Amino acid sequence: MGEHALLYILFAPFLGALGLIFVSNRQPLLVRGIAASSAFVALVASIYLFYAYDPVKGGFQFVEKIEWSRQLGISLHLGVDGIGTPLVLASTILLFAGIFVSWHIKDRTKEFYIWLLILAAATIGVFMSLDLFFLYFFYEMSVIPMYLLLGMWGSHTKKYLEMTDTEGVKLRDSVGFIFNFGSNSKEYAAMKLVLFLSAFAVMALMGILLIYKYSGLNTFDILVLREHANLMNIPVLGTTLDKIIWVLVFFGFASIAPLWPMHSWSPVGHAAAPAATSMLHAGVLMKLGHFSIIRVAFEILPETTREMMPIAAVLCMFSIIYGGFVAFYAKDTKYVIGYSSSSHMGYVFLGMAALNYISLSGAVIYMFAHAMATGMLFAMAGWVYDQTHTRDIPSLGGLSNKMPFISGCFIVGCMASIGMPGTVNFIAEIMIVVGSWNKYPLQVIVAMLGIVLTLAYLFKMMRGLFYGPMNQKYGHAHDAISTVDRLPLLIMISVSIGFGIFPMHLYDVVRSGVDPLIVRITEVVPVAQSGDGAGSPGAVGLSETMMTTPVVAKPILPSPVLTSQGGSE
Amino acid sequence: MIFSLNLSFSDLLLLLPEIFLTCWLCVVLIVDFVSPRLPKEQLAYLSVAGLVITLGCLAWFDVNHISGALFGNMFVLDRMAIFFKVFILGATILVILSSVEYVNRFTLFRGEYYVLVVMSALGMMFMASANDLLSVFVSLEFSTLGFYILVAYLRDDLASNEAGVKFFILGVFAAGLFAYGISLVYGETGQLVFSEMSSAQATPGLIIGFLLIFAALGFKIGAVPFHSWIPDTYHGAPTPVTAFLSIAPKGAALVILLRIFLVALASFKPVWVYLLVAVSIVSMTYGNIVAIAQRNIKRLLAYSGIAQIGNVLIGLAAGTKMGSDAILFYLLAYLFANLGAFAVVIAVSQAIGKDEIEDYRGLNRRSPFLAFAMLLFLLSLAGVPPLAGFIGKLYIFVAAIKEGLYTLITVGLINIVISMYYYLIVVKQMYINEPIDPSPIRISAPIKTVIYVGLAGTLVIGIYPQPFTDWVVEATLMFSNFVTPAATALPTTVHVGG
Repeated sequence: MGEHALLYILFAPFLGALGLIFVSNRQPLLVRGIAASSAFVALVASIYLFYAYDPVKGGFQFVEKIEWSRQLGISLHLGVDGIGTPLVLASTILLFAGIFVSWHIKDRTKEFYIWLLILAAATIGVFMSLDLFFLYFFYEMSVIPMYLLLGMWGSHTKKYLEMTDTEGVKLRDSVGFIFNFGSNSKEYAAMKLVLFLSAFAVMALMGILLIYKYSGLNTFDILVLREHANLMNIPVLGTTLDKIIWVLVFFGFASIAPLWPMHSWSPVGHAAAPAATSMLHAGVLMKLGHFSIIRVAFEILPETTREMMPIAAVLCMFSIIYGGFVAFYAKDTKYVIGYSSSSHMGYVFLGMAALNYISLSGAVIYMFAHAMATGMLFAMAGWVYDQTHTRDIPSLGGLSNKMPFISGCFIVGCMASIGMPGTVNFIAEIMIVVGSWNKYPLQVIVAMLGIVLTLAYLFKMMRGLFYGPMNQKYGHAHDAISTVDRLPLLIMISVSIGFGIFPMHLYDVVRSGVDPLIVRITEVVPVAQSGDGAGSPGAVGLSETMMTTPVVAKPILPSPVLTSQGGSE
Repeated sequence: MIFSLNLSFSDLLLLLPEIFLTCWLCVVLIVDFVSPRLPKEQLAYLSVAGLVITLGCLAWFDVNHISGALFGNMFVLDRMAIFFKVFILGATILVILSSVEYVNRFTLFRGEYYVLVVMSALGMMFMASANDLLSVFVSLEFSTLGFYILVAYLRDDLASNEAGVKFFILGVFAAGLFAYGISLVYGETGQLVFSEMSSAQATPGLIIGFLLIFAALGFKIGAVPFHSWIPDTYHGAPTPVTAFLSIAPKGAALVILLRIFLVALASFKPVWVYLLVAVSIVSMTYGNIVAIAQRNIKRLLAYSGIAQIGNVLIGLAAGTKMGSDAILFYLLAYLFANLGAFAVVIAVSQAIGKDEIEDYRGLNRRSPFLAFAMLLFLLSLAGVPPLAGFIGKLYIFVAAIKEGLYTLITVGLINIVISMYYYLIVVKQMYINEPIDPSPIRISAPIKTVIYVGLAGTLVIGIYPQPFTDWVVEATLMFSNFVTPAATALPTTVHVGG
């Protein structure tokens, strides 16, 4: 262990997936054992990482650098700071819990665990990448497993199943493509998720490529780029280049966060996904968005971030309110939790937008806290679905008699989600609210309203599921009795409450990551804007030539200038 | 122009792979004649043995840096020629292995099939070395001759015959354009060798001549608007021939395009970059959008191939050494993914007898191995990490963004998303839908070998590309003379700006 903890965390799930390829589906216990043990290795290593991370020293620790491609300037550069460390921990906890949550999957067990492990490993990879290329590499890699997990083990919505017609499946799928609320097949949800995320991911890739080109450093290394890349004040298309890059990166990554109005793939995806996938999806996959924005936009373009972050402050209000109201009116358990997740991710954007120590630390802790809370809720919604085969809240009820343990945990999950004191969510919410008050009072009021909404829809769902008259159809439903079924919930609850009561180490770690970032963003001396903002395409070529000339004596042929003329229109 | 024909032994050494393969071809033909009772699989393995020996010879050339020019620069053996020869031979070996079982569908001339495949490969090997318009023309027609026959090899199948006729008529037309283009270029410059044209003046005759040549080569690689033969020919031809057609001639035509654009026309880059940008955008967009509507897997791969060529042309439009590196790398990634995908198509059609996408329903239940392999190949074609296709696409985009081709890259990135849709439609059929007939699918050993090679290539190039990038960078060293030093990607020229 020790110095190479990151490699263990990253490669244990990959090797587990690789090992599973050679195991037969006829030995389900061996399959689960391999999956669980590889997740356990990653979990232990990440707990070690979390406590061995030295918040006093700060910065990037456990750095690994393996050269990967000289020609393209790529190296497998791994390292975690105070922001990455808790997220890596959250990912491994949710992966470990998710393996137990999906313990009873009978259909193609081996394939399920392979894709789940790859999904988790790719997610973890993003959280520790210090190279733009690998950040994108792992980011995009996490999308495809989602397609298969949703498509193969997911479930249709109730409305979709009710749309019976004699013609067959064709008519069902012919409903509009994007505005197809509430009546989705799992195939539709999976395809929408992949296309949405890929479309925005290539946007971010364009931003990354522009950083690569205009830095002129021939490297994708974030640490080099943030020190040496000079992307400011290059006029392009009537604005400056750094703004264009920032917008591409921000919106490219914010889609997975999911920021309103780019959220529509997310609840649909949550609803269709099997429980463990929803947990990873809502728990950590959505945080890839915030994390990548912090890593790329905040680190490399601090000044532009300061200038542009109000965009996030505006959009996050819509996220919070819109998600909250839809969750309130939704009738499907997973839609409620899905929209609640996308509403809660608005808080993280608020914390990020305020750009100070308290609020940004709050945002990072909130990501961690939300992973646990939403993980619990999805795990329990998944349990209820497995027992009753429905997610339709009005048809359920009175399940607390049948499943007292689950309903007890559900109350804890609701409390955590609301931000009850004693859970880590409370600390995070209070930090976001306090930190953002000076800068964005309106947004804070909206956020408080969002908390009230959360209370309303979660309690409404709880009543609908566990209290009231019981539907006799579901008399066969039973509680989580065995250790395997209880373990994941107990892990997440104890983490949530444990850090709620003893938050100091988490706080120190996060602060050590947030502080240098805020210093970079707030204390950079602003460079005066270049005289005329109107950038003619010819000027692009000119500035580009100026940038690259110091070493390359021979002037660049006229062709790049000409093509950039054609290209930038 | 005077040719010196007093060849020494060391000159002949440069031709050794071709000479050896020609002899081997004759041996295969004779063996087929003298022992008609010999199982035809033996002929396949005999041909593969010859190709492997030739491959070994080329590897020896590559390691020992043997290079040179023959016949007054008509035939050059440089690192790039060696790369493309290896590429073509590799493709040929994989195609022959995937044909072993398929050949039983032919009613007649099963032995000659292998001879024709190797003959086409031989023609393409000459194309890789051709450094002069005449030798390009001769070798190109030589290789296409074999294909005309191969495409129509299913004698009793109407679609195959139609494909053959279509391919022949359009191919001959393209050859006519090529010949006319050569005559114009020769008339204007008095030169046929690429490296001696670089000082030519841009006269209307020269421009038209090169446009005609580009059209003929565009026909070979299947770029829009010269693509109209591709879907029907791919659909009708025997599947191994389709696989061969989808990769080897494209590689061979691209080496010529590289030599023409980066050597002969290097000084006209500001002009031709527009041509390539336009063709690339149209190819990518057309190929990907039309692929969405396809119901037949071979047609889908045909249109996806058109789109892939659009991607390759991005690298050519960059017009730098790095652009050509990226093209070579991309072709490597494409070779494994594409031939692998076709091998799966062959295996499935052996079991089912059809090639409709609908027939892939529940392939995961029937043969998890085939479904998983197809998944990886399609994702590699779509450009998903950690597979080879992703690195290939990224390499091309990096090369292009260094030249500031923003529009082209934007279109390329959007096209990745579009292409993902139709590849995932196939994935959906394989993984999500349940099979109608759940009987398992048997895979023959040669096809399995091809799929394993494809999987290994796709994964290894994707996860550890360094040796392959080193290889392509060395293969295109000749272009560093023709492009600006700023554009080369060698570590020595890393410049620290700002």
